[in-house]
Amino acid sequence: MNAILEVQDVSKRFGGLTAVKNVSFSLLPGELTGILGPNGAGKTTLFNLLTGFIPPDSGSIRFEGQELRGLAPYKIVNRGVARTFQLTRPFLGMTVLENVIVACLSPRARDAHDKESRAHQLLDQVGLGAKAKDAVETLPYGDLRRLEIARALATRPDLLLLDEPFAGLGSSEIEPLAQLIKRLHREENLTILLIEHKLREFMALVWRVIAIDFGEIIAVAAPADIVRDPRVIEAYIGRTEADHASV
Amino acid sequence: MSGLTGRENFGHALFIGAGAYTAGFLATVWFANPWYSLPAAVVVAVAFSLIVGFPTLRLKGPYFALAMLTASAIMQRLCLIFWEYSGGEEGLYGLEPLILSPLHYYWFVLAILVIAVAILTALAHSHWGLLLRAIRGDEATCQAAGINVTFYKIASLMISAAFAGLGGALYAHYQLQVSPPLFSVLVSITVIIMVYVGGIGSIYGPAMGAILLTLLTEMLRGFGEYRLWIYTLTLMLILFFLPNGLIAPLWRRLTERFR
Repeated sequence: MNAILEVQDVSKRFGGLTAVKNVSFSLLPGELTGILGPNGAGKTTLFNLLTGFIPPDSGSIRFEGQELRGLAPYKIVNRGVARTFQLTRPFLGMTVLENVIVACLSPRARDAHDKESRAHQLLDQVGLGAKAKDAVETLPYGDLRRLEIARALATRPDLLLLDEPFAGLGSSEIEPLAQLIKRLHREENLTILLIEHKLREFMALVWRVIAIDFGEIIAVAAPADIVRDPRVIEAYIGRTEADHASV
Repeated sequence: MSGLTGRENFGHALFIGAGAYTAGFLATVWFANPWYSLPAAVVVAVAFSLIVGFPTLRLKGPYFALAMLTASAIMQRLCLIFWEYSGGEEGLYGLEPLILSPLHYYWFVLAILVIAVAILTALAHSHWGLLLRAIRGDEATCQAAGINVTFYKIASLMISAAFAGLGGALYAHYQLQVSPPLFSVLVSITVIIMVYVGGIGSIYGPAMGAILLTLLTEMLRGFGEYRLWIYTLTLMLILFFLPNGLIAPLWRRLTERFR
């Protein structure tokens, strides 16, 4: 099977700081993969590189065989790569429904004749159907996450990138959201790449984990094995004082 | 229209002036039928919006406002520098009226106003208007939703330029002359004040704001020297106490009550 996404030697420097360094990986169609890393490891930067919000310094990003590097973010979305933001960014002053309609107006979603009913359908899918007419400002944080997902789905993606979908959620909200992601993955035939920095959420959800630290890939393994990888443990727990002394 | 994308246009004078001078040149250089002025003014104003639109794409808020303000100031200067063609301070004289009877002309312009407000209102309430409001809200999210932000920004500037250019040509054929003050900062500022008094982000609000402010200026003529004082004070009070404008919020409240 051919990879749907091939990332090769992608790097990005901000001044003296190398945020992402020679990152290479590929995703098979239908895979549910996670990117694991402590805060500041370069996860969100990597997402921004993949989605065109930040141009990479070097490397190539091929999606369905075509180069994405150099394309504007909206063009990448219209190739079939959608994303959510870690800090949810709804359109304020609009209803929940209108927020989704905006994404239904993108060229890739143009085949839907009735944008309203498609937006309703998407909201039902993510469990926000009853709140369609509410002002978006009234939504609690967990619902905003679902709205982000509905907006991303509206653009009819083949690859969905979720930036820390569980961050800031209570334990009672995490499980239903994980179920939603699993269900969408299955029903919509999606390839999903998600960022998380908590190990626990990964275990039940993803098939494969790419661990990064200081902008570099340090391990790729199944979730059960990644927690035993010495480099991952080191990145998470850090070196002990004694280790520092010996270095 | 540009206000919907959150880029308040302080350079309406540029498009009004471009439209008016188009009418002026057509009448005095080519002696064309005055009715050709209207489509020509629209075309020229839209061309101007493209010329200033692309370099200012990335600018937002006050920076965009300043750039547009400067663009019209530059045009005003150019009119003086190239006085052989533009008539300099004197401007261009001898435009023919579109309709001889001033009263009939009034009805004609009023009809155009109603049509313009209807078109713009329909646009604002369409999916197009929704997209513009989304761009005003968050450009990055729009990108993430697959929306070509650049296209919609330029297109909305073109639409507002088209109407301003038309207005300029209608004004030129009413005054029967055009002169550099059409490009002046004062014209742009007046447009912006009308928009703010009416309520930004709505269509009928600014249209009513324009009528109200023009009437206010006329009614205050009796106060002589104090006119400007009262006028400015009224404006300051409106902007200070009613930041969302006067007419649009009032109208919204009235319609909600009777619903």
